[in-house]
Amino acid sequence: MRVLLVEDDRMIGQAVQTALRQDGYAIDWVRDAESADTALATTSFDLVLLDLGLPGRDGVSLLRTMRARHDATPVLIVTARDEVQDRVGGLDAGADDYLVKPFDLDELGARMRALLRRSAGRGEAVFEHRGVRIDPATREVTRDGESVTLSPREFAVLEALVLRPGAVLSRAQLEDRLYGWGESVESNAVEVYIHGLRRKLGHDFIQNVRGVGYFVPRDESQGTG
Amino acid sequence: MSAPSIRARLLLSLLPLFILAEAVIGTVSYRYVLSESHELFDYHLRQMALSLRDQGAVLPPPGPPEDREQFDFVVQIWSADGSKIYLSHTRSRARLPERATLGFADVVADGERWRVYSTLAGGRVIQVGQPFEVRERIAAAAALRSLTPLLIFAPVVALAIWWLVGHSLRPVERIAAELRRRDAQRLDPVPEEQLPTEVEPMVRSLNGLLERLRRAFAAQRAFVADAAHELRTPIAALKLQAGLVARARDDASRGAALAELNAGIDRSAHLIDQLLTLARSEPEALAGAAASIDLARIAGDAVAEMLPLAQARGSRIGFAAAPPASVRGDQKALHSLVRNLIDNALRHTPGGSRIEVEVAADGQAVRLSVDDDGPGIPVEERERVFDRFYGRSAGGDAGSGLGLAIVKAVVERHDGRIELGQSALGGLRVAVHLPRVADATT
Repeated sequence: MRVLLVEDDRMIGQAVQTALRQDGYAIDWVRDAESADTALATTSFDLVLLDLGLPGRDGVSLLRTMRARHDATPVLIVTARDEVQDRVGGLDAGADDYLVKPFDLDELGARMRALLRRSAGRGEAVFEHRGVRIDPATREVTRDGESVTLSPREFAVLEALVLRPGAVLSRAQLEDRLYGWGESVESNAVEVYIHGLRRKLGHDFIQNVRGVGYFVPRDESQGTG
Repeated sequence: MSAPSIRARLLLSLLPLFILAEAVIGTVSYRYVLSESHELFDYHLRQMALSLRDQGAVLPPPGPPEDREQFDFVVQIWSADGSKIYLSHTRSRARLPERATLGFADVVADGERWRVYSTLAGGRVIQVGQPFEVRERIAAAAALRSLTPLLIFAPVVALAIWWLVGHSLRPVERIAAELRRRDAQRLDPVPEEQLPTEVEPMVRSLNGLLERLRRAFAAQRAFVADAAHELRTPIAALKLQAGLVARARDDASRGAALAELNAGIDRSAHLIDQLLTLARSEPEALAGAAASIDLARIAGDAVAEMLPLAQARGSRIGFAAAPPASVRGDQKALHSLVRNLIDNALRHTPGGSRIEVEVAADGQAVRLSVDDDGPGIPVEERERVFDRFYGRSAGGDAGSGLGLAIVKAVVERHDGRIELGQSALGGLRVAVHLPRVADATT
């Protein structure tokens, strides 16, 4: 999952970035609205964490321009402004959720998962696909009831693929979800993670279309077991 | 202790005036009536004497009896040999002197003063006399009558004064009642309409004070609100940093998280320090006992203190000072001013930059300038940078956002002025001018 963090305070930005990286998110952190605009224009994000009190242009203004160009990326406002009119204004400007500083990292994580779930058109918090059960909140994966240990990056690849079964993701798209800017990408990293996942979850759990990318086959019996 | 009421003072000061007026009016009308009656009665006396002469007979005097009673005169007629031929009957039974001067004369008989007219007629002397007392009595009665309306009018005047004073002061009562109803939050001006000219300046000054108070309160509230709001950011950072410590899985990441947490705590402490400094240096009169201080020494100390921070960033600070540079003021506040200016320059320039601090006499002022070779501040933003928490996060390393607000408050408190400009080094130049005083003896 690739997340754009728009936060002007160095310490908060640093802490959020560190925490979300630990959770396997790819984080791009910008400190003002102009840089955020550039990032949104050049990269596809799964979620935007938006501070309102930014130097120069305001966060709400950024949000409005995003929505005006029909950018539907989920936006979670994270701000020190706690007045009701600020919250109402933020949500009405197109935000999907609103979190007031100071906040807890766990709550931020839960709200992010909820937004990602909803943007994928899902209601249930736990994915279950062909005997593999994935809990994004606890980051626990089981296969036929047995616990499977995944590295954060393996988990991120799996989550991306399971979110939309049948949809093919290219290597570049997967890399996008794994690495933020400035993080070095090993040339065959995605192949390594796919290999690891196949070993742990069964070889045909993830399939590839040669030259296009990887996908998790749609399961006809999904929902019944 | 309150002074006597306006009503009492007015009435008390009018009372002697009133008595004086009564005395003057009484005296004047007495004198006037007396002199009038002199003329009139003299004429009567003469007429009577002449008519007696012309009648040639010794007969009762003319005029109706009731007139006579009031007229109260005496007629005496002498023969040529000096024997008394006639003496009119009067209630006083007075006897006129036996020797007479012709014409009018004032004589004393039986202890009473008389006005007498004597004339010669065929060897007889006709004398007509009247006691002065009659005239005085008439004049006194007239004087008393003239005082009556004034005496009747006096209580009316007193009542009118009582009512008028009350009526004129009703707006004051109204304002007092209005102010009594207010609580500490209501500082809007009291209405100035329909006030007597005498009361208006007082009410206007009161409104001026209310306005100043309202502004001071608003500034205070804004400050507290700003401060509370701005404390959220460092506290949010602390909470996140603590969260990172809690979820650290190995010693290395725990160590890194703890270092961040420590930095976060330092930042919060710094913000609180700055808030306190600002609260202490909010514009108010500098204590009268402010000492004469060498600004060059203070600036030198501050530069020395900031050197380690500058070195950590690879920046250089140059310092130049030329006496005389004595100012009157609060040493701690001025120290904080210089520190904040240098800190601001360090924060808003990239590492490896150059900063020049200079203290020099400039006319009647001492000029402290801090130059840097950083990006500077666009002209349109120069006023706003003095706002609290403005641009807290702009530039590389965020400070508390209070530095320049503190600088401005300290400068204002010392009757100085501050200018932002373009530095010869290429970046920002901050120049502070403070009034110069005679050099300190120490």
